[in-house]
Amino acid sequence: MKEFSKGKLEAVSKTRKRGAMIFPGLILLMVCLFLLDLFLGSVRISFMEILRALFTGSGDPEYSTIVFQFRLPRAITAIVAGFALSVSGLQMQTVFRNPLAGPFVLGISAGASLGVAILVMGLSASVVFSGLYGFGNWAIALAAWMGSGIILFLVLAVSIRVRDIMTILILGILFGSATSAIVSILQYFSSETMLKAFVVWTMGSLGNVSISQLRILTITTFAGILIAVGMMKSMNLMLLGENYASSLGLNIRWSRSMIFISTSILAGTVTAFCGPIAFIGIVVPHITRMVFKTADHRILVPGSMVTGAVLLLISDMISQLPGYDVTLPINSVTALLGIPVVIAIVIRNKKISAFV
Amino acid sequence: MDGSTDILRTVELEIGYPGKQQLPVYSNINVSAGRGEIIAALGQNGIGKSTLLRTLVQLQKPMRGSIFFKNTDLYQYKRKELARSIGFVSTEIIQVSNLTLFDLVGLGRFPHTNWLGRLTEDDIHLVREAIHQVGLENMMDKNINEVSDGERQRAMIARTLAQDTEIIVLDEPTAFLDLPNRYEIVHLLTELSRMKGKTIIFSTHDLNIAIQEADKVWLMLPDGIITGSPEDLVLNHSFSSIFKETRLQFDEQKGEIRMNRETGEMIYLDGEGITGMWTRRALERLGYSLAEKNRCNTWIRIEPGKEKPTWIVEKRGEIVECNSIYNLSLRLKLD
Repeated sequence: MKEFSKGKLEAVSKTRKRGAMIFPGLILLMVCLFLLDLFLGSVRISFMEILRALFTGSGDPEYSTIVFQFRLPRAITAIVAGFALSVSGLQMQTVFRNPLAGPFVLGISAGASLGVAILVMGLSASVVFSGLYGFGNWAIALAAWMGSGIILFLVLAVSIRVRDIMTILILGILFGSATSAIVSILQYFSSETMLKAFVVWTMGSLGNVSISQLRILTITTFAGILIAVGMMKSMNLMLLGENYASSLGLNIRWSRSMIFISTSILAGTVTAFCGPIAFIGIVVPHITRMVFKTADHRILVPGSMVTGAVLLLISDMISQLPGYDVTLPINSVTALLGIPVVIAIVIRNKKISAFV
Repeated sequence: MDGSTDILRTVELEIGYPGKQQLPVYSNINVSAGRGEIIAALGQNGIGKSTLLRTLVQLQKPMRGSIFFKNTDLYQYKRKELARSIGFVSTEIIQVSNLTLFDLVGLGRFPHTNWLGRLTEDDIHLVREAIHQVGLENMMDKNINEVSDGERQRAMIARTLAQDTEIIVLDEPTAFLDLPNRYEIVHLLTELSRMKGKTIIFSTHDLNIAIQEADKVWLMLPDGIITGSPEDLVLNHSFSSIFKETRLQFDEQKGEIRMNRETGEMIYLDGEGITGMWTRRALERLGYSLAEKNRCNTWIRIEPGKEKPTWIVEKRGEIVECNSIYNLSLRLKLD
C-alpha cells in the first residue's frame, strides 16, 4: 500500500507541474501584450508618456484622454472578449464532444446578431439610442443572449438526433445563413438611420465599445465564467459521453443547461458589443490543450481564458497596422489567424473520428 | 428463494424504448443477482441484453414493472446515490485526446469528490489501487488514445473500481477483444467477485465463457428468461434449445458448441489418452462417425511410440502408416 502512495503523487503532479510552469508565463505574456497594445495606435505616444498617463495622472492631458478614453478600454475589451469567447468555445467543444464546435461555427454568434438586428431595426431606434444609453446597452445584451440561446437549443435539439460531427457543423452553418437571411430582410424594411446603426455594429471592433458597454461586458463575462468554473467537474465527465457521465451520477440535462446559459451569456455579450468575432472560440481551446497537454477542465478553463486574451491582443495589434491610420476589422484578422489551425484540426480529425 | 440475499432483483420488468410504437423489447423479466455473484446475461443479438443492462443502471426507464436494489425501488435512489452503488461499462469506445489513463480512472471518483472534483490523498490512493488491480500500473501516464483495446477496457473497469460500487454492470466487456484478452478480462471479473465481493453482471455472446465463469446465467430466449447456474441450464436442456433451429448443436457432455455435420462413413478408432481424443475430434471434423470394429471398413490404430505416436490406417487389407493427424486426414481424403 505504501508503495502506491509514492508514485501516485508523481502521476498527479506531472500535469500540475506543467501547468504551474506554463501558467505564470502565459499571464506575464498577457500583461506584456496588454501594455504593448496601449502603446500602439494612430497617434504616436512614447511608452513613458503612457506609463505617466496611467499611473501618475500628470503629463499631457491629450495623451491621457487618448489612453483612458480609447486605448485602455480597447485593450481591456480585448482581454475580456478573449476570456469570454475562448471559454464559450471550450464549453461547446466539450458538450458536443466535437473539436470544431465554437460559438461562431455553430451559428451562436449569428443568433446573437439576429437578436440585436431585431432589436435595432425591428423596434424603435429611439429605445436603443436615446438618452437612456445604459438601458439600451442592457437591451442589446439581452437581445443577443436570447438570439444565441435560441440557436444553441436548436443545435442541441438536432444533435440529440444526429450524432455525426460534420452534420452538426453543417447545420450550424445553415442556421447561420438563415439568420443572416432574416437580417437582410430586416435591413430591406428598415429606415436609413436604423440601417446605418446596424451596419456600424456589424463592422464592430474592439475599439467601438463604450465605457458603459465595457462595464456590462465585464460583469456578464464574469458571471458567465463563474458558471463555467462551477461546471468544470461536470465538463470533465462529459468528455466520456452521456452514458458514462450519467452512470457516474451527473445530471446531464441540468449541467448542459447551465453550460448553455454560460455560453449564451459569454458569446452573446461579446457579439452584441464587438460584433461577430470568428475562430477565437474554436482555436483557443485546441492551443490550450496542446500547451497544457491535459483534458482536465480545471486547467483548461483558466488556460483558455489567458490564451484567448493573448490571441485577441495579438489580433488587435495586427488589426491596427502599426504606422497606419486605418484599422482592419478584427474579425478578418482572427479569421486569417484561425483558419489554418481549423484546417489542421479537420485533417487530423479524419484520422480520429470522435476526437475531443 | 429468499429475497433478502439478493442485492438486485427485478419484478415483472418490461424494458424498451418509449416511442411511437410503444412495443416493449422484452417483457416479464424476473431475475435476481446475489451479493458477490458473477452473472452472465446471454442471448442472441438484438434480444435486449443491452437494454436490460441499461435499465438496471438507470440509464433508461423501465416501461413497466420494477427493479429493487437492496429491497428498495431503484428509482427511489437519486442518480448520484446510485452512482456510488452501481458502476457501468458500456461498449462505447472512449477517445479523448490528452486524457491520461490515471485521469480516466480518477473520473470514477466523481460521485465522491467535492464540487471541483479535487482528488484527496485517499481518492488518489483508491485510484492507484484500482489501476494496480487491473494490472496497468505501468501505463498510468499513457494517453487513453494510445493504449490497446484490452488495456482500455481494463482501464474502464478500473474506473468502476475507483467508483467503489457494490455492483458492476458491463455490456459486452469482451466484444472487441482477442481471445487472450477476452479470457483475461473475464478472469479479472471473476477475481473481483471472489476477492472483493463485488456483484458483477455482464452480457456476452460467448457461451464458453459464461459456462466456465458465471455463478448464474440469465438466458434470454425469445419466449422468456431462464435463470440458474450454467450447469443447471445444461442439465435442463436450456442451452440445447438455443440451437434448435440452427446447424449448431450443444454438446451436453462436454459443454461445447459443435457444427451439426452430415455424418458420413463409419470408422473405427483404437487409441487412448489425449492423442486419441484429438484424433477423434479430427475424424468428427472430417465427417466420420465412430463405430464398432465389425461395422467399419476403415480402422485406425494409434501406436504410442517412444517419442511420437504413429497412426496406422487399415482399409480393405491395405495398411498405411501416418506420422501426423494432418497426414492421416490427407490419406483418408485420398480414398
